[in-house]
Amino acid sequence: MPDHIGEAILLVLELSIMFLATRLASNRSIKPADIFDLGKIEEWIQDAGSMKRPVFFTTGTGSVGSPDTLAGIDLLRYVSKICVQHNAPMIVANADLNVQQVTEEVVKEAYVNSGRLNEYSPDSVRYLSSSIFGYAAGVMGLLRRERPMVNFFVGDFAAEALIVTEAGRSVTSNQFGGTSSVVEMPVFLATCDQTLIGSELYAAQSYLTSDAQATSRLFGEDAGKVVALLLVIVGVVLFSFGNGLLTGLIGH
Amino acid sequence: MATNSKVTQWESVLQIIIFCVGFLFAISYYVILPEPINLQSASNGLLSYLTAMLTVAFAVGVINLTRIHFRNVKLRRTDWKFSLILLLSLYSMITLSMVSSPFAVDPQGVVIPISIIHAAAPFWSFLYYNVLVSIDTTVFALLAFFVASAAYRAFKIRTIESTILLVIGLFVIIGQAPISNTIWPGFSAILNWIMTVPNTAGQRGILIGSAVGILAFSVRRMLRYTW
Repeated sequence: MPDHIGEAILLVLELSIMFLATRLASNRSIKPADIFDLGKIEEWIQDAGSMKRPVFFTTGTGSVGSPDTLAGIDLLRYVSKICVQHNAPMIVANADLNVQQVTEEVVKEAYVNSGRLNEYSPDSVRYLSSSIFGYAAGVMGLLRRERPMVNFFVGDFAAEALIVTEAGRSVTSNQFGGTSSVVEMPVFLATCDQTLIGSELYAAQSYLTSDAQATSRLFGEDAGKVVALLLVIVGVVLFSFGNGLLTGLIGH
Repeated sequence: MATNSKVTQWESVLQIIIFCVGFLFAISYYVILPEPINLQSASNGLLSYLTAMLTVAFAVGVINLTRIHFRNVKLRRTDWKFSLILLLSLYSMITLSMVSSPFAVDPQGVVIPISIIHAAAPFWSFLYYNVLVSIDTTVFALLAFFVASAAYRAFKIRTIESTILLVIGLFVIIGQAPISNTIWPGFSAILNWIMTVPNTAGQRGILIGSAVGILAFSVRRMLRYTW
């Protein structure tokens, strides 16, 4: 039999608990106490629209398969919808060719859904370079030339994170960051006004809505974290007393 | 962010494909079926298709760059000269790389005359090693200055949290400096404790949270079910 049967059991257990917790929270309208305030995003974009200054968005240098990039694309869907509503021009910069195609479609879709496809400019979504520092230089140049009102750096970032976010900080006062990389997190916290860190990034959809069903997902994820922590604690205690049941189940 | 738009037939078909492919990759990690079914080989085969698709997508990037910058030059927009330099650099590097580089399309000189390949070689080497690598290094070097300005902003004492950050940051900076042991040997011990205990614990907490978040995010995407 495969080596990963223990992992499969834990995966099913974890997912079941998350599912049940979400259902429970949804039925009883339970909301987690600490809801991140992302209402400012709309305020910033509204200001950008009234001042006719662009909104800048980038998902970083990750590929389309990276969960952070996918979460960034999800947020881009929301941001582009708000931009269209408030007539704020958008600039999206990409370092990955597949992400470029997806982001083009996402921005275009926002214009199509609002029935204003004629206002969509293909130049608003730009491919810069697949080289990390080529991309960083391109973003710096774009920020200096276009002087956006709001910058979004949400996705998968590497060594270029500090270069692009600091360049953004020098041209605008409203900056939003998001990453799950523990190495780049301090960079975002130091340079952005609001930052989604770690699991917050994947739950951004729930933070952006007051819908009870969406916020109940946060409860489900929190339940998943509690299960993970309990497993860690039980594993440590069992292993300390010489019992390798849990470590044997997960380990190879 | 929540999309309530009607699901079209094409979207349903795409969703089925996404689910099937996602499920195949997930199940091939956990399950080994008896011969002749080989899930691992099927998933590896699909990955080869993915690599081919990613390579084809490269052309999209070149087209996008050309379209935007050609229009900048044509309409004489602000800074159009930079766009012209970009286009010249892009196409000259593509041409030289195809003629004479480790990625040349005809390194044996079957179609392209050997004399041209030899003549192009020093130009490619110059542009790659003396221009591109130098520019890359220059941009990387900018990090030092950006670190200073970001650190100044982060370490400004405004709240109790930033004061704690400043104090811990100072211990880490001094502990990392070669002179720290000469000043006081305790700095190294403090640095070691900060990095291995609170720093590692915090990072692992974030990683566990991220892993749970990725799990929920992936399953929701695969099933397109809003639980």
